[in-house]
Amino acid sequence: MLKPGDTAPFFDLPCAVGGRAGRLRLSQIDTEMVVLLFYPHDFSFICPTEVVGFHNAREAFAAEHTSIVAASVDDAATHLRWARELGGISYPLLADEGGALARAYGVFDEREGLAMRATFILDSKRTIVYCVASPVNVGRSVSETLRVACALRSGRMCPADWEPGGQFGPAGHKD
Amino acid sequence: MAALDPSEKKRLIERLSSIREIVFGMQDGILTTAGVLAGLSGAVAVHRQVILAALASTAAGALSMGAGAYLGTRAQTEVLTSELERTRQETAAEPYVLQEGLLHQLEREGLSREASYRVVQLLSSAPQALLSTAEVKMYGLSRQALGSAAADGVTMGGAFLTGALVPLLPFILIPSAGPGDYLGLIAAMATTALALFAVGYFQGWLAQRGRRWPSGLRFLAIAMGAAVAGYLIGLAIAPLGGAAPGQ
Repeated sequence: MLKPGDTAPFFDLPCAVGGRAGRLRLSQIDTEMVVLLFYPHDFSFICPTEVVGFHNAREAFAAEHTSIVAASVDDAATHLRWARELGGISYPLLADEGGALARAYGVFDEREGLAMRATFILDSKRTIVYCVASPVNVGRSVSETLRVACALRSGRMCPADWEPGGQFGPAGHKD
Repeated sequence: MAALDPSEKKRLIERLSSIREIVFGMQDGILTTAGVLAGLSGAVAVHRQVILAALASTAAGALSMGAGAYLGTRAQTEVLTSELERTRQETAAEPYVLQEGLLHQLEREGLSREASYRVVQLLSSAPQALLSTAEVKMYGLSRQALGSAAADGVTMGGAFLTGALVPLLPFILIPSAGPGDYLGLIAAMATTALALFAVGYFQGWLAQRGRRWPSGLRFLAIAMGAAVAGYLIGLAIAPLGGAAPGQ
């Protein structure tokens, strides 16, 4: 699994976005930061709680100049049908068929043939600044990802359990 | 052939599930009693005493087998019931885990991911349907496996008793002319072999096999093989008791 400081592998993949099939390159994304979500599969029961959760928080991420992109091994047509079933997903769902992108990020489960539940945040230079992987049965926290995105974007030192609007620097530190 | 009504089919399958107790009990009753008759006929000269000993052995065997089946089924039922209850609690606490597990299992059995998802989603609208399907598909647990301990005990004991009568009846009905007259014993052994074959044949018929004769012969060979092996082991260890074989 890649770690903070590594250059984010480039992608140019088919995707489903806004109810249509398309294609997306990493270089086309012009926001300051990118949240890249890997998830195991469309048409499952835990993944939609995350995918819809990030969709519902899209405005909060946009306010932080952060784009959301998700990827699984499903093809674009399946992404389209699934997104429709979920009531529409605002951000692109990449069709990482074969799992090349997940492999490049070191989060491909070869035994199961699908991506692990992993999150990467990329900065403006498309360097990985945050990464986390969850067990397949445990969904990610949308609010935690947003909290980390806010903290990273602040460019300041953020103590444990820091929340947006909270005090920067270690406890007792006069910032 | 007209298809059976599903509820009738279910009842038939439940009845057929007793085949284990019936085959096991009958085979044991036949072989144990034949062994007692053969062994005692060589050692005891009085025909009537051999019959009494065989009857006592039959009664003890039937009770023992019936009690064993009762206790075995009861233990199995308790363990399975406990597992089913645990599954029910896990489902209530973490339905997603069960849904994902069932989805994977359906995929493994040939449904597409999307179709599996829709099936599980439909089942999820009725939690009991989801749970009972998951019990069978994911854990191989089935409420049908929760047999009745009393019924299994009676079936096993009855089957043993029925099997025991096979060698016993000809032995009783053919009186002995004295020491050296083995006509009753020969008749008992002949009916034993015939009955063992018949049990195998019947089992083949129940399983709707095209080849019932091989099923009967296989059953006869395995059962008689076990009996011969037991006899040979007896011969081998007889010297340890201080007696020469046959004495």
